[in-house]
Amino acid sequence: MGPLAVNELISENTNLFLAFLIGIAFGFVLEASGFSSSRKLAGVFYGYDMVVLKVFFTGAITAMLGLLFFGLFGWIDLDLVYVNPTYLTSAIAGGVVMGLGFIMGGYCPGTSFCGASIGKIDAMVFIIGLFLGVSLFGAGYNWWEELYMAKNLGDPKISESLGLSDGVFALILIVIALAMFTMADWAEKKFPREEY
Amino acid sequence: MKPRLWLALFIIPLGLIIAAVPQNTIHPYKLTPAQMLEEVNTRTQFIAPETVADMLVKKDPTLQLIDVRSLDEFEKFSLPGAIHIPIADLLSEQYVEVFDQDVKMNVFYSNSTLTANEAWMLTRQLGYNNIYVLEGGLNYWFDAIVNPQKPESTSSDEEFAKYDFRMGASQALGGGSVAAQSSDNKTTAPKPVIRQTPKKKKAAGGC
Repeated sequence: MGPLAVNELISENTNLFLAFLIGIAFGFVLEASGFSSSRKLAGVFYGYDMVVLKVFFTGAITAMLGLLFFGLFGWIDLDLVYVNPTYLTSAIAGGVVMGLGFIMGGYCPGTSFCGASIGKIDAMVFIIGLFLGVSLFGAGYNWWEELYMAKNLGDPKISESLGLSDGVFALILIVIALAMFTMADWAEKKFPREEY
Repeated sequence: MKPRLWLALFIIPLGLIIAAVPQNTIHPYKLTPAQMLEEVNTRTQFIAPETVADMLVKKDPTLQLIDVRSLDEFEKFSLPGAIHIPIADLLSEQYVEVFDQDVKMNVFYSNSTLTANEAWMLTRQLGYNNIYVLEGGLNYWFDAIVNPQKPESTSSDEEFAKYDFRMGASQALGGGSVAAQSSDNKTTAPKPVIRQTPKKKKAAGGC
């Protein structure tokens, strides 16, 4: 509820309470879509279940189109929307670590809590590992601070770096997403797995 | 029909629409007329010549003076370190970098404040921050900094302090008058206050 809290239309506590409700709804939808199953999640790496890819691409496109049209109608000022700053080195290193953890554990941080909440033991073990990793990172921060802060690119948008307008980039991304969905369907037929 | 086809039929037209809309209608004027009026009423854009002179003397790297007069006038006289952006070329692509930043204070000046105010209003409406106008323009700059008038002997200490500061700045900046300073007054010039409008906080978030 960013704009409401920043502009002090709602208090910090109301903000947290809304975040709590949204979090519960998010977790419920994740569970209902089968995202609490590590086998289903890991399926994206083996090709037998591409639901993760489909869901995230659909989510990205929906949010992208929503933001662009809201901006077009003047309902939202896109310049005030927070864009995570890009630290290139740590983004790559973090992506590798996260990807390896995802393949090995079958969860990403959010879905591990989703799994643990319905009693999945592998998800609970994953969460323990998650806290170990966080603690290790914090304890050794001095060692990798330089790597962590290297190559700060500010908060660039891909469309800006490509010299395209946001709208043209959005259209390209939609076409890519639809192509990915077709590829995902093909992969699911090519690498089927009976029970998981 | 397959749901995938429905999805494609729905989102591809949306993508086409958003791609066809020119970029700048997605980024309309950043200030509403009401916000603009408030800024005009509170006169937040004006920066006193003393403040500018103080920054010039201290060689403050955050100060960026912008001369919006004609090239002739700019070549005849300009403030130290000023760059020349004639008002006619204000929207030129090459000057976007000058305005689109959060570090420097851009201070427009012209002979009076008229042209500088026009430039300020346009750039503010485009959403750029840290834009100011030299109060009184160059005409007042000459009166205040280059040739300051000695105050009446019955004037307040503050007036004398202001005069001392102006004389000092005038000398440091190579102004017209290099007369002896009023020695009976030891108070230092009041430090000019830089008025800066608070920046809007960005909404932080992430997953």
